[in-house]
Amino acid sequence: MNFPTEATLRRIIAFVAALGIGVATYITIADSGGGAPTCLAGGGGCETVANSSYSHIAGVNVAVFGIFGYVALLISAFFANDAARFGGFAVALGGFGFSIYLTYLEIFTIEAICQWCVASAVLMTILFLLNATRLIGYAGTTTSATLPDEG
Amino acid sequence: MSNKREREKRREERLQEEAKVDTGERRTRLLQFGAGAVFLVIVAVVVLIVANSGGSSGGDAENLKEVSAVDSLVAGVPQNGMTIGKPQAKVELIEYGDLQCPVCKAYSEEILPAVIESKVDSGDAKITFHNFTIIGEQSTPAGAAALAAGEQGRGWNYLELFYRNQGKENSGYADDEFLTAVAKAAGVKNIAKWEKERKSAKLTDEVKATTAQAIRYGFTGTPSFAIKGPGSNGTELLGSPSTPGEFEEAIEAAS
Repeated sequence: MNFPTEATLRRIIAFVAALGIGVATYITIADSGGGAPTCLAGGGGCETVANSSYSHIAGVNVAVFGIFGYVALLISAFFANDAARFGGFAVALGGFGFSIYLTYLEIFTIEAICQWCVASAVLMTILFLLNATRLIGYAGTTTSATLPDEG
Repeated sequence: MSNKREREKRREERLQEEAKVDTGERRTRLLQFGAGAVFLVIVAVVVLIVANSGGSSGGDAENLKEVSAVDSLVAGVPQNGMTIGKPQAKVELIEYGDLQCPVCKAYSEEILPAVIESKVDSGDAKITFHNFTIIGEQSTPAGAAALAAGEQGRGWNYLELFYRNQGKENSGYADDEFLTAVAKAAGVKNIAKWEKERKSAKLTDEVKATTAQAIRYGFTGTPSFAIKGPGSNGTELLGSPSTPGEFEEAIEAAS
């Protein structure tokens, strides 16, 4: 199997980050109306998680931090330089670590699972793996500075 | 001329060689930074999880959990003393519980919220909490503290928040510091008044009176429930129904 080109990695990162923006935005909007995201399979896990004290940090829904993270990752996919490679990796790593902590809280402290939060955690895990691959494979190299969608 | 061209060529090769070394160094440095960041994140996640698991054993006055969950559960539902629900609701479900009782905590978290949502929010029923103190000596001051919060319209906030932060039975966690922390987080406005009332003979006697009443009913464990309404034969004893559905059926039968 060939190592994926950086262009391919950047396209996938942009796509997954866009999905992440969608998920985090949905959670934020659902919460802002005083409600909670709707769990597709029912069960009320999303309400329990959204109503728990862990869903906000300093009064801000954690999904808002998610939106910022995904937007930063999307932006990093548009540049092919070391700053973007390392920046993308650092943001994805932070998001991945935070997702592990939030998933731990869901399972062991809140004792409820919110599918939208799990979806976001999975997307962030994929982004971490993609950005780690990108950094290891292409750190220190120089290529075109735009997203090569023509390739 | 050819000498000059050769010199230029050598110079170009040297520059390329230097650039290659630079690139290699930059790559190594970036990967080192990356590895350092991975290490830092691992440490941060472990610290967060360890710090959190320490607090999750409950009974921690400095780290009360689920404050917003309790707020949203009882928000907008009228409260009067230890009764939650519209005063004109025809059916009254009466809970006899002990704040230190882990089964009461489970009822409060897993069964009663569904009943509040289906029958109390709609105005069909109201729920009244009475103390039935059987666990230990801190149960009575805890029960009186809830009643004192009820005097300021925050009785159910207090109950729910206490249950969600309950510690191990009779471990001594329900001390003055814990009771006060719960009162503040439950939104009791006048803490000085609450402090005075919770220690008053009136509320302590009330805890003892409802405990005596539960014993007269023949209840042996907490929580135990009774119900009264136009369709019931006076106050009927329900014991300990184990699902929201059973409570809903009992409320419908008493309507």
